[in-house]
Amino acid sequence: MKITDIVIRAGRSLKQAKARTLLTSLAIGVGAFTIVLSLAIGAGGRDYASNIITSNTNPQELFVQPKADANNDPTKPQKYTEGPSATYGNYSVKLLSQSDVDKITTLDGVESVTPIYSVKVQYITTEGQDKYQVSLRSFNDGVKLDYLAGNSENISTNNGILMTDTYLSSLGFSDASAAMGKKVQIAVNKSSNLAGIPESKIFEFTVIGVVKSPALAASPLSGMQIYKDDIKAIYDYSQKGTAMYGEYQGAIALAKNGADVKVVKNNIDNAGYEAQTAEDLMSFIFNFINVLQAILIGFGVLAVLTSVFGIINTQYISVLERTQQIGLMKALGMRRRDVGRLFKLEAAWVGFLGGAIGSGLAVIAGTIGNPFISKALNLGNTNLIVFEPLSVLAVVVGLIIVSVTAGIAPARKAAKLNPIEALRTE
Amino acid sequence: MIEVTNLVKTYGKKDNTFNAVDDVTFSIPTGKSVAILGKSGSGKSTLMHIMSGLDKPTSGSILIDGKDILSLKQKDIDSFRSKKMSFIFQSFFVQAKESCYDNVSLPLEIAKISYSRRKKMIEAALAAVDMSEKINAKAGELSGGQKQRLAVARAIVNSPKILFADEPTGNLDSVTGGMVENLLFNYSKENNVTLIIVTHDADLAKRCEIQIHLKDGKIDSTRGII
Ligand SMILES: Nc1ncnc2c1ncn2[C@@H]1O[C@H](COP(=O)(O)OP(=O)(O)OP(=O)(O)O)[C@@H](O)[C@H]1O
Ligand SMILES: [Mg+2]
Repeated sequence: MKITDIVIRAGRSLKQAKARTLLTSLAIGVGAFTIVLSLAIGAGGRDYASNIITSNTNPQELFVQPKADANNDPTKPQKYTEGPSATYGNYSVKLLSQSDVDKITTLDGVESVTPIYSVKVQYITTEGQDKYQVSLRSFNDGVKLDYLAGNSENISTNNGILMTDTYLSSLGFSDASAAMGKKVQIAVNKSSNLAGIPESKIFEFTVIGVVKSPALAASPLSGMQIYKDDIKAIYDYSQKGTAMYGEYQGAIALAKNGADVKVVKNNIDNAGYEAQTAEDLMSFIFNFINVLQAILIGFGVLAVLTSVFGIINTQYISVLERTQQIGLMKALGMRRRDVGRLFKLEAAWVGFLGGAIGSGLAVIAGTIGNPFISKALNLGNTNLIVFEPLSVLAVVVGLIIVSVTAGIAPARKAAKLNPIEALRTE
Repeated sequence: MIEVTNLVKTYGKKDNTFNAVDDVTFSIPTGKSVAILGKSGSGKSTLMHIMSGLDKPTSGSILIDGKDILSLKQKDIDSFRSKKMSFIFQSFFVQAKESCYDNVSLPLEIAKISYSRRKKMIEAALAAVDMSEKINAKAGELSGGQKQRLAVARAIVNSPKILFADEPTGNLDSVTGGMVENLLFNYSKENNVTLIIVTHDADLAKRCEIQIHLKDGKIDSTRGII
């Protein structure tokens, strides 16, 4: 018998037992639904996370810290080691000094190293407006920004500042373009001043661009951006003369264009520091997503496993019901192998139907649910559930294979049936 | 030509054995109609199953046109049956939920006849049993006589060389039974097809050129064998 004829006959037998076929498929469908949806959530979550990574970090950047003692037990007294450190209570963290920064700069594949200047400013304001808290960070041209107005072209020459859109109305600008070219004042206080005589200085910047707040609203990277020399100037003013001046909690090393960040990371690690790539920093998000996804898929797999017994059961019943038909087909010369195939293909149809129904419903549910989820989680236009056609296809194919496997034993029973016995049953 | 030699089929174990077919020998020339007669339990169906390769004898041999079918591999017997043989059963065994077309199509599909050739063959077979207008009807909706005619159409659609019929008229009234008989005999004569009918019915047996009477698995008497 030709395989196409077997497929058609298999489909027809299922059609003749519509209710049973549908119910058996639905059991698989539940599994398909769960698995497809979890895959989509995982894909969406990872998309979202990597979006955050690229819009907040430069993939060529590495965050470098002094090496932490590997067997460091914070509950016990710590050994004293030479070198700068910052103290929190009775616990101290080692810091990077300028010589460390210089040393890292010479390493293979490192383009430049910028220490992390921890600048604290008092407020930002503009003429005729109230004062607002603000954080500043160094402009990084490797990070993708969403410009509402202007650009970063003149940031190094003009005392430029890239303002975040959340400040627009507070500082009295009607929209992004209204802020362009306007001067803003940032007040910085001097930390080294002795005994209570507060001293502060106003730094003036020109708004050269307005950018959207990054996706992670609470991110420490959400501050306004100024050129790195300007950051250093503020740092120098506020920290010079303090014990901590010239000691940094970390530094940002920029890998050379075309250099593999992983290799550079190794180089820095081997030099006695600890480097983390942008990916490392965000890997916890990926881990979280992966674990969540694995749990969800686990439920789906459980549902599929349960449905396997359903398929085995219905297929056995089907073989019993159709003993005569099988006997007739074998009497007419149908080969054992083809009889087995007929029943395996029926199982395949059930798997296909279940997979198609389940993933179809999942796609519908996801598409309907996406706007609500995005709204509830404040994700803007990002979709958290992203269906990848290939993985949906893989699920359907996988379920077909599972169903066929479940159908093997009943199919074998059908193939082995003695036609004489079969034809004797009235 | 079908040559059956010293055929024995033993059922049961140890002390409890008995021969359902007991040392049967005969031969049937191609194109003849044959009746296998005997009381219930005399071994008629068993003999027919063995002759068609559906069952294996305990000993003996069967040659069909000189070919020893007992020495064939299972898949070769299957293919031999699908190309050369056909069956009609007392209880029809038509697939109630399938259309007449699909019922008749089954042997062609098994014999791997291409889709394009099937349609003509199916229509011709249904026309031969005067069932053309039922081609798309579900087999379950047919009367008993129509069901058996459908079974005849299914049996002749692939132009078999040997047609086995086990009590083909057993479930039919005499008029309908006669109609099915006519179909079978005419088909056999027109196409030189060997027709082997298992029956209790003496009148039906008289219409056959050869009669083989079985009693307790043994040949009791024969008529028409040269
Ligand atoms: N699988 C089997 N196991 C044991 N005995 C069997 C088996 N098949 C048939 N028999 C026995 O073999 C004998 C012949 O059976 P068979 O079916 O050939 O009879 P029959 O002549 O066709 O009878 P009927 O006219 O009632 O159909 C019977 O006694 C039956 O009980
Ligand atoms: Mg019988």
